[in-house]
Amino acid sequence: MKPEVILHSFGYLTQAAGVTIAVSLAGIVIGFVIGALVCASRVSRRAWLARLGGAYVSVFRGVPLLVQLLFIYYFLAEFGLDVPAIVAAVGGLALSSAAYQAEILRGALNAVPRGQAEAAVALGFAGSDIWRRVLLPQALRISIPPLINEFILLLKASSLVSVVGIAELTRVSMNIASLTYRPLEAYVGGGLFYLAINLALAGFGALAERRLAADGAR
Amino acid sequence: MMHSDKITVTRREALKTGLAAGALIGGTRLALADDTLAEIKKRGELMTATEMQFPPFDISDNGVYKGLDRDLVDAVAKEMGVKASYLDLPWTSVLPGLEAKKFDLCIAPVTITKERMKRYAFTVPIADATAALMKRANDASIMKPEDIAGKTVGGQKGTSQVEQLKAFPAKLSKPVEVKEYVDNNQSYADLAAGRIDASVNSLPNLAYAAQQRSDTFAVVLPAFGQPTYFSWVARLDDKSLIDAINAAILKVEADGTMAKIQKTWFGQTMDLPKTVPEPSI
Repeated sequence: MKPEVILHSFGYLTQAAGVTIAVSLAGIVIGFVIGALVCASRVSRRAWLARLGGAYVSVFRGVPLLVQLLFIYYFLAEFGLDVPAIVAAVGGLALSSAAYQAEILRGALNAVPRGQAEAAVALGFAGSDIWRRVLLPQALRISIPPLINEFILLLKASSLVSVVGIAELTRVSMNIASLTYRPLEAYVGGGLFYLAINLALAGFGALAERRLAADGAR
Repeated sequence: MMHSDKITVTRREALKTGLAAGALIGGTRLALADDTLAEIKKRGELMTATEMQFPPFDISDNGVYKGLDRDLVDAVAKEMGVKASYLDLPWTSVLPGLEAKKFDLCIAPVTITKERMKRYAFTVPIADATAALMKRANDASIMKPEDIAGKTVGGQKGTSQVEQLKAFPAKLSKPVEVKEYVDNNQSYADLAAGRIDASVNSLPNLAYAAQQRSDTFAVVLPAFGQPTYFSWVARLDDKSLIDAINAAILKVEADGTMAKIQKTWFGQTMDLPKTVPEPSI
């Protein structure tokens, strides 16, 4: 073990970690927006909308992310649709993560006791207020731990975007391994960066949970 | 909204049909193929891709692309009056990316084989690709290639060097167990860790690896494989591009630039065929 290999490549790894964070963050945020829409359509009373949401989840959860990325970047090009690498990377992460996030949100909605909505109706809340002030805040609080879980999984899955030519953390660790012929040091370096990012994410999740819990108690 | 969407689709369909008809009538395919060279000249940029994990050909040193391929393609692009750009892709994505027209030229060294010649257009050779073996420096049981009889050898899956390794034991007394890896670096790592007894790769790659970690690795000489060569590849119908690249490579060889580049990355110079050789494998 030669720790100086990690030190020598520290700047390179930091830069790659930045790419990993940026791509993942964009994927998470866009994925959350799409996921919320998909969840809304899945719980819709309109049968065709619910089926459409169900189909989305089946496809994007059922096809491996790697295949989705290759499809967006290489297969669409066959039809003259030249998707830039960064768009393919963020798009692939977002579309795939949206399926998981939609199910997390749906599960959280289902976990809010039925009596809550009934009580709100009895108290004379308007329909939109029931959603905004009663159901969504509770569902959001329930969904935080599994959402953070999904964010961490997505961050680690983002190593796959290297297939479209994005130099993210895992890819750069491999580059360093091949350059120095010291794979152990290179991957330990990359792994430490992942750990640091995910610890920060988990910390953020704990903070959000505390905040929301305090809000609920008020 | 739905209505206008439908019209767009119809238009696109019409365009597609028109293009297909045009291709049938006027041989659009040929015209499109010739466009690659014209387009490179127009944009002033030769777009290339490789996997930057193949020292001494392709290295990403703290994010800076280096290696024999880099120096050579820079010289070639200069001859063509354009600048080169480089994309780092995993090897499994390089040839699909070429076919999807994500770039113009694959500058990852590709071994010329009969099978590959049917699918891709090869440039004249840029380096020797003859398969050889590397062992642990302290392993006295392997002194010549034939000594791997009954031992375990690793290499990168899908490479012609591994295919040559698989054909080699036919001449040996005992079979050789072949372990295939996603890339050569894992094979080297397992060699260092003692899980395998030797790694197969092209002689230039191994010579560089052994030089970088001479305490751990040593090359087993002579190379055991059939004489083969590395070339760059373009799409099969990009004839004019290949001709332009070939002319530039030969020019760079003639004026001594190639020898200088070889000296930098191989520590020695070597002569290469001036035409695309008939593949021996």
